[in-house]
Amino acid sequence: MSIAVRDLVHVYHPGTPLETKALDGVTFEAAKGIWVAVVGHTGSGKSTLAQHLNGLLLPSGGSVSIDGVTIRSGEDSLRVVRQKVGLVFQYPEQQLFEETVFQEVAFGPKNWGFPPDEIKYEVEKSLSQVGIGPEFFGVNPFRLSGGQKRRVAIASVLSSRPDYLVLDEPTAGLDSAGKRQLLALLLDLKALGKGIVHVTHDMDLALGLADIVLVLDEGKSLLWGPPELILGELLEHDIRGLVIPPMVRFAGKLRDLGFEVPLTWDPVRLADAICRSRRP
Amino acid sequence: MKFLNNMTLGQYVPVDSSIHSLDPRCKIIATIVCLTGVFLVSGPYGFLSWGLFFALMVMLSRLSGGLILSTSRPVWILIAFTSIIHLFFTQGTPVFSWGILKITHEGLEMAARMGLRLLMLVLFAGFLTLTTSPTELADGLESLFSPLKRFGFPAHELAMMMTIALRFIPTLLNETERIMKAQIARGADLDRGGPLRRLRAFMPVLVPLFVIVFQRADDLATAMEARNYTGGEGRTRMYPLRWSIADTATLMLTVLFAVAVTLLEKRLMA
Repeated sequence: MSIAVRDLVHVYHPGTPLETKALDGVTFEAAKGIWVAVVGHTGSGKSTLAQHLNGLLLPSGGSVSIDGVTIRSGEDSLRVVRQKVGLVFQYPEQQLFEETVFQEVAFGPKNWGFPPDEIKYEVEKSLSQVGIGPEFFGVNPFRLSGGQKRRVAIASVLSSRPDYLVLDEPTAGLDSAGKRQLLALLLDLKALGKGIVHVTHDMDLALGLADIVLVLDEGKSLLWGPPELILGELLEHDIRGLVIPPMVRFAGKLRDLGFEVPLTWDPVRLADAICRSRRP
Repeated sequence: MKFLNNMTLGQYVPVDSSIHSLDPRCKIIATIVCLTGVFLVSGPYGFLSWGLFFALMVMLSRLSGGLILSTSRPVWILIAFTSIIHLFFTQGTPVFSWGILKITHEGLEMAARMGLRLLMLVLFAGFLTLTTSPTELADGLESLFSPLKRFGFPAHELAMMMTIALRFIPTLLNETERIMKAQIARGADLDRGGPLRRLRAFMPVLVPLFVIVFQRADDLATAMEARNYTGGEGRTRMYPLRWSIADTATLMLTVLFAVAVTLLEKRLMA
């Protein structure tokens, strides 16, 4: 049971002077209860990939399947897939349109045809998950603060009961407190067994939180694996537009000098290793 | 949602071609001449001549025919609608009748004429924006309207408004597409049902779009003011426009062609 992407190719505006190959043979897998971070520079194909996972874009080549159901055009499977995979766009608060917070979050479940008592249950549950109390249920979403709007928008995706959450730069534009709250929420959701696909250009976040990292470059999957296993290659490749966390570069320098320390982004672990390391 | 992906209206495609390198003023005047010419012809020879002229221009611009045709795609429905109205509601000699529907000889002629005329107007106008960047276009218009400045005509302001409007067409299309995708991802069904249901289904797209449009307009105005934009007075140009011999030649040939086609067609139809 997973999101499985095989040799995915996506071409925008085929057959015109604007033709661009945004994805070129991307392969990866995201299982339930696992956090996958998709990182890459601007224009590396991250957002295009995210839209494929929900069937909003259809492959020009290769395949995307969700729990064994392959995404194809014009089929009812598309509806099933879209409910299974909740997609949170960048600045999701810009999709808000209803008159009250409750109605906004109920938009998805109504579209999927949930019965009224289930809608109420899902709306209340998702709003409570994102930390929006009942006192806000009747408030116009346009009157909320930026961070609150973002949380309502995420609740409006959660209320459809997706098994996987694909989030495109979910922390963009949030202050550090808002960022922390959102990431804590995503960790909770992961603990509840939801698969998280986190699209970001922030290497610190990806390395610190993800179980598996997929590095995209020019639409190709360059690296794929647990953070500690891809760090060495990441340092070697020096991928355009990707900022390697200073801690990792520091650990790399120490290793070059002969210190026996692991390549890590965790300062405490690195400090510990330095203390125990024997200078050659 | 497909029309948003394929829409090229108002989008400049930079290519190194003899048409692209012409002075924008020349292209604007030549386009007006072509549009007037298309209005003045009404028979098959006239439309054929303008069609061939347009094909020659496309070849010189090194743009693909498919891309050029796609500029007219958004107005195909309008063209079809206009043609159908003329087809069924023009009085004259009946060719075919079925119940209250009656197609006349004059109706057929009128439908073909109006359809072709509208199509050519859209193609010529689209060709101008495909081969001229919005900045060049605005500079050209400002320069052409500048003699009217002494009568208080806001030439610069109008040109700036047009640049911004043209510049924002693709941006707004992208925004619309993004919001549509976000709502579809939440299960919104925008493509099914009758017109009324579709209109209602579009509310989740229209409300956020309006909010974004006003927000963007406000941000842009603030950003322009912050960079000391106070209108055209005392504002210099990065690339001053230069009229060359090629521009004079192009314009003269276009005018000559338009006059020749109009006169020849009048003679052939007489």
